[in-house]
Amino acid sequence: MSTHAIPTPFQTLSAVARGYLPRVMQARGWVLAALPVLPIGLFLALTTILKVQGERIPPALYLSAFHVVLAKFMLPIMALVAAPAGIREDIEQRTIPLMLARPSTIWMLPFGKGVLWFGWGALWLVVACAGLLALGSSPEAFFYQAAALVLTYWAVLAFMSLLGLVFKRGTLWGALYLFIWDPLVRIFPGNLQRITFVHYLESIAGTRSTEVAASQLLAQEQISTPVGLAILVLIVFGLGCWALCGWKLQATPLGLAGSESEG
Amino acid sequence: MIRLERASLRYGDILGLSPTSFELPDGGGITGLLGPNGAGKSSLIQLLSGLLPPSGGEVGIFGESPFRNPAVLTRIGLVPEGDRFPVGLNGTRWLRMMGELSGLTGSALDESIQRALVAVGMETRAQLGFSSMSKGMRQRIRMAQALLHDPDLLILDEPFNGLDPEARLNLMELMRNLALGGKRIIVSSHILGEVAQLTDRILLLFRGRLLAEGSVAEIRELLDRHPVELRIASEAARQVARWAVEQDELVALRMEDGAAVLAVRNPRDFLPRLQDAVVTGQLPLRALDPLDLNLDAVFQYLTKDHA
Repeated sequence: MSTHAIPTPFQTLSAVARGYLPRVMQARGWVLAALPVLPIGLFLALTTILKVQGERIPPALYLSAFHVVLAKFMLPIMALVAAPAGIREDIEQRTIPLMLARPSTIWMLPFGKGVLWFGWGALWLVVACAGLLALGSSPEAFFYQAAALVLTYWAVLAFMSLLGLVFKRGTLWGALYLFIWDPLVRIFPGNLQRITFVHYLESIAGTRSTEVAASQLLAQEQISTPVGLAILVLIVFGLGCWALCGWKLQATPLGLAGSESEG
Repeated sequence: MIRLERASLRYGDILGLSPTSFELPDGGGITGLLGPNGAGKSSLIQLLSGLLPPSGGEVGIFGESPFRNPAVLTRIGLVPEGDRFPVGLNGTRWLRMMGELSGLTGSALDESIQRALVAVGMETRAQLGFSSMSKGMRQRIRMAQALLHDPDLLILDEPFNGLDPEARLNLMELMRNLALGGKRIIVSSHILGEVAQLTDRILLLFRGRLLAEGSVAEIRELLDRHPVELRIASEAARQVARWAVEQDELVALRMEDGAAVLAVRNPRDFLPRLQDAVVTGQLPLRALDPLDLNLDAVFQYLTKDHA
């Protein structure tokens, strides 16, 4: 009779993250890396050219790069690129049964793959933020901007991963949420802003992309959340989503065909 | 050791496995799951390997339900059907991850990987990426992952698909050795000859039902009762027909242009006599085509027979 120990949740996490490590160094991983770094690189190249030509560089250019390019555009796309490479990929490739037939901690599998893509994406978000320093940002702003991006990426990636496990077209629902709901809510009554990722990102970063003008129809005063609370909300929200991913995988019978049975 | 008590499996409205009961005893041995495509072999395997819970009834492996039960899963090795692997990984890294997910660590993990790779003959090629491996090599790696944690119960779903004859023989030899070493092996196939080379105990499945359980001889006897259609092409088809009507096994005869189509029982008795008749020049034969020697036809016949 074989007598092997049952792997602990941490061993499961470690096995999956290390096992799939080469995946982040492949095409999808480099696309993820390029998403935040490439636009900032372009900004730097353009400002360098303008400086050489003696043109004036707008002083708040780094804020536009941060809010419009990184926060509103690249970060959601990064989450939409990374989330399908998580446990959803194993379900679609029908490799998940080989993992489910092991005595590992099943609820830890989504987080094991997710943490890998989170770490890789977070690294390049920080690199992109460092590029903002060359565009005029301050070391203090860098700290808050990097924290805002990394924590929001954490929460958004967890949310996208959960949607991917709950819905077959999770990426589509995620894209609708990030690109329709988030911008729309900015003109809705104040407290609705608290159920957007942008609200917490801007609260941590300490700056806003645009103020809503009083002349705008339905315009509402924008509200802020204290930095500490905003950080806590994003961390807890992310953990909650990963926990729900784990619960969903644990509770869902997945057969060899990758589909659910009635059980 | 393995006990099913009216265990069934549904996929929505579709019944994958009707209420099924059987027991397999403790100790080593090989049991064949035989049935045509769609017979319920994979459904049964998913219940046994703990991937799916039964929709009704009970499944007991080592005395416990296997579904999401690490204590049972640590003693099961599964080789599912199909050529599926995570993209972008190589064999060694994937085996290491699978070993760790089975609770192996440190030197025990290294030794297990090496032992499993030697057993399947992949010790020098496991570092290749899956996309660079042949189908047969990937099948061997899939077998290796099931052996890593030295399971007491090994479940293999159509393991010979895609293997060349040499690899097939090697795998059969490996399975026999494991069974002799005390491992219980359940192997599914839709080819009787394949299973018959491995085991004398067969579970015969058809359309989600356990049709028969017994030795290869008993199953062969059941199969022999099914008349097989043979088309014998000959320039002297009438002479063939005259010879055929003298044979006890003949059930039906019809003539086609340049051929006689015979329906015969017990083809294993009939065919050697036909061969002798051709060799001794009694029958001028141009071609022999079995028309319905596939398992589907045999199983259709068996179900009618049982009804």
